[in-house]
Amino acid sequence: MRPELKEYALDHMFARTFDTAKKAVRSTEKERAILTRSIPYVSGLLGPMLSLGQPAATFLELMSDYYNNIVNAKKDGKKVVMTTFCFDPTVFYAFGNLVPVTLEVGTVITSILWKRGSYDFMDFCTEVGFSETGCSSQRGTMGAYLAGAGVDIDMVAINMGGVCDTNGNAYSFAAQYLGKPFYGLDYPSDLTPDDVSDYHHKDYRALIRFIEENGGGPFDIDRLRELLEEKKIQDELTNELEDMQRLVPNPVPGIFNLMLYAGRYTWSGGKKYTRMLREMVDAVRANANSGLSGLGKPEKCRAFLFYIDNFSFNVGMFQWLEKNQVSHMGNMLSRFFPDNAPYKRDVLGTCYGINTKNLDTMIDTLADINARMPMTRTIRGPYDAPNMWFEDSLSLAEIYKADCCIYNGTPGCRNTWSNVKLIMRDLENEVSQPIWFTPTPLTGGWKTGKPRL
Amino acid sequence: MSDLFKEAAHAIDLPQIHDLKNQGVNVVGHTCSFVPVEIFYAAGIVPIRLRGIDAENLSIGDAYYGPFVCTFPKALLQQAGAGTYGFLDGAVVTTGCDGMRRLDECWRKMSDDIAGTLPRWFTLFDVPHKPDGVALEWYESRVRKLITAIEKNFNVSITDEALGQAIRDQNMIRERVWELGVLRSQDPTFISGTEAFQALIARTVLPSDVYLAELTALIEDVKQRTTPVSQGKKRLFVTGSICDDIELIQQIEEKGAVVVGESVCYGMRKTFEKVAEDADPVTALCKHYLSGSICPRMFGYYPMRRDSIISMVQNTKAQGVIMQNIRFCDLHGSENGLLERDLEKIGIPALRIEKEYGALTEKGRLRMRFDAFLEQLKTNC
Ligand code: SF4
Ligand code: SF4
Repeated sequence: MRPELKEYALDHMFARTFDTAKKAVRSTEKERAILTRSIPYVSGLLGPMLSLGQPAATFLELMSDYYNNIVNAKKDGKKVVMTTFCFDPTVFYAFGNLVPVTLEVGTVITSILWKRGSYDFMDFCTEVGFSETGCSSQRGTMGAYLAGAGVDIDMVAINMGGVCDTNGNAYSFAAQYLGKPFYGLDYPSDLTPDDVSDYHHKDYRALIRFIEENGGGPFDIDRLRELLEEKKIQDELTNELEDMQRLVPNPVPGIFNLMLYAGRYTWSGGKKYTRMLREMVDAVRANANSGLSGLGKPEKCRAFLFYIDNFSFNVGMFQWLEKNQVSHMGNMLSRFFPDNAPYKRDVLGTCYGINTKNLDTMIDTLADINARMPMTRTIRGPYDAPNMWFEDSLSLAEIYKADCCIYNGTPGCRNTWSNVKLIMRDLENEVSQPIWFTPTPLTGGWKTGKPRL
Repeated sequence: MSDLFKEAAHAIDLPQIHDLKNQGVNVVGHTCSFVPVEIFYAAGIVPIRLRGIDAENLSIGDAYYGPFVCTFPKALLQQAGAGTYGFLDGAVVTTGCDGMRRLDECWRKMSDDIAGTLPRWFTLFDVPHKPDGVALEWYESRVRKLITAIEKNFNVSITDEALGQAIRDQNMIRERVWELGVLRSQDPTFISGTEAFQALIARTVLPSDVYLAELTALIEDVKQRTTPVSQGKKRLFVTGSICDDIELIQQIEEKGAVVVGESVCYGMRKTFEKVAEDADPVTALCKHYLSGSICPRMFGYYPMRRDSIISMVQNTKAQGVIMQNIRFCDLHGSENGLLERDLEKIGIPALRIEKEYGALTEKGRLRMRFDAFLEQLKTNC
């Protein structure tokens, strides 16, 4: 890692970047032109973002709040929990004194904002012994925290046991390297049986005990209820968006998918996230009422990403889709499986419901939500088992009338690379749609992904 | 030198297993140290650990698995696809790591294309990623479920008495294996790492009565030996990814070392502890098999593993540690990084190598690394 990088606190850089970006929303055209000239790299992203109007402005605010929260954590007497994107952060916000820092969110930001991406931080991971073949989504910013170029971490809590080794392994490594307490929720290969649900619930209670023992607190029941009630509204809004996504043409701009899941990974249960969702619904409804696609031009094709997006400089993949008039129909990361989602299937236990009756029902709800987070739900069991990767992908591709399915596999993903050939064959047999798969690094690899698509 | 162990370590298709099959005994293959073999013995079934040795190419493995995946499960699939495991009456795939658990789907799908390659009973066995608390309860419920499935599929009954007997039998083996480990750790030592590792691998594939008799004879033989094998050689310890590769140990020893211990799957693992004989047998088995956190798949338990490896290194008086990982094995690959740091902190030299599984390993490159490491040890110690 270049020594000068250690001189800059990563979270601080993110916070300042988003502070400036959110101010740009209110700038005049002339001011914006000057700003664009002085930030040649970032402007490739800022321009398209700002053209999305109010939802994007609120998104920039959310990101700015998120990183300012992290930057100020110690000063505000708060503890910092390192966690993964598939971990619903509501529980952290229910403790009055916790601030989550999600590595993958940071990695995506470095990759879309910096031309050199997060390679320096990844290199640092390798330098200190972490396997270079691990998924880039964690390594991208993990290196910064290991090198002391990020906020001081107090504990690590994740939910990847049984879901993704390379992810769980990265957080476990970080905890050991930094000498911090670690808790990992564990997931069996099944989702729906009662005993599995019971296991999820008990494990989640043990997680809460772990957080309490390590200084998290007080666990505020009223705050938890408030957060969960807010989540109900968020789910309703998300459902509305996803319902409109079924229209032809699809009125949802592709980048909205990224905003939707990034917002949820960072601010689940937060009021500003609700505001952004509401603004997104309004924008999409306006498109739908006018019969417009979210691409800003006619829709030629609808692509469902049955894995995840590609995050590269200036959101290259999203721009490529737009340029080629391909609608982004969402992906594995943007679906959370509440029991009122437009794509839910009527198999008991496949989705979560929010029950705020008492503390027990609320903790069970949190456990149920976490067990159905992206990846945690879909790729934990055999891909061809009920309610797993194949069934989810097939039904989503059908519901959203996809013309093709795309797999953007990061080489670090042992889990999906171990069975992607099988699912592709099955999908092709079932849907007779073209399936593309592009072995691209999760981050920074659009140059290699693009020619394949 | 035991010819039986040598043969067992070098071949998959063993005459001892065929004899049992001819007598009508069922044989079940499994993939992991977290499968309690006692439950199979209690059912009158012989369990064997699946191995991928001799897979010299991965034409079948690569057809179902994607790239960027460890070559060990691919080699197992290769062997299964080639019909090498045609003699199995059942197979248990565990959720050991992501690559390994996907062997379940790859094997099933392959058998749609290559008829007759799937054993008549085939199951995925969930093992939690932590060794205690609520996970232990969960593991016990899975083991009980596995017992019921075995009873149903093989039309047998697994009684507490039979489990108790199987536990006592395996404990006897544990005791003997431990004795072998103690003999290896002596300085000078009278048994090479190659010979000892052969005996350890044989444990995973031979019927337990045959194994115990042969191991007892080997131990007696070693005790009578008068010519040490360690003189003038560096004492090394091997750890890391799954390893049933005798040639790897041989290569290290050919360079002027003796391998005095290892902490790898197929190796000693938890033999120093016996399964409690005076408790509920299933509960006792689960406690034994899940605890101890022998594998980096148990996220967050590195300090426990580090301490146990360091104490093994010290007990065996090893002068250096070779940490190997199969390419794309992030679990061991990363943990080796932490271990290297911690071993060096206490003055134990360590070598990290990355390689392919078994016969797919590129040997020349490794020989060079071993040479260099031994040179370094000569200068330092
Ligand atoms: S993308 Fe794959 S490797 Fe990365 S965290 Fe997700 S499942 Fe794991
Ligand atoms: S060596 Fe590592 S990646 Fe390979 S099967 Fe074992 S744990 Fe999995």
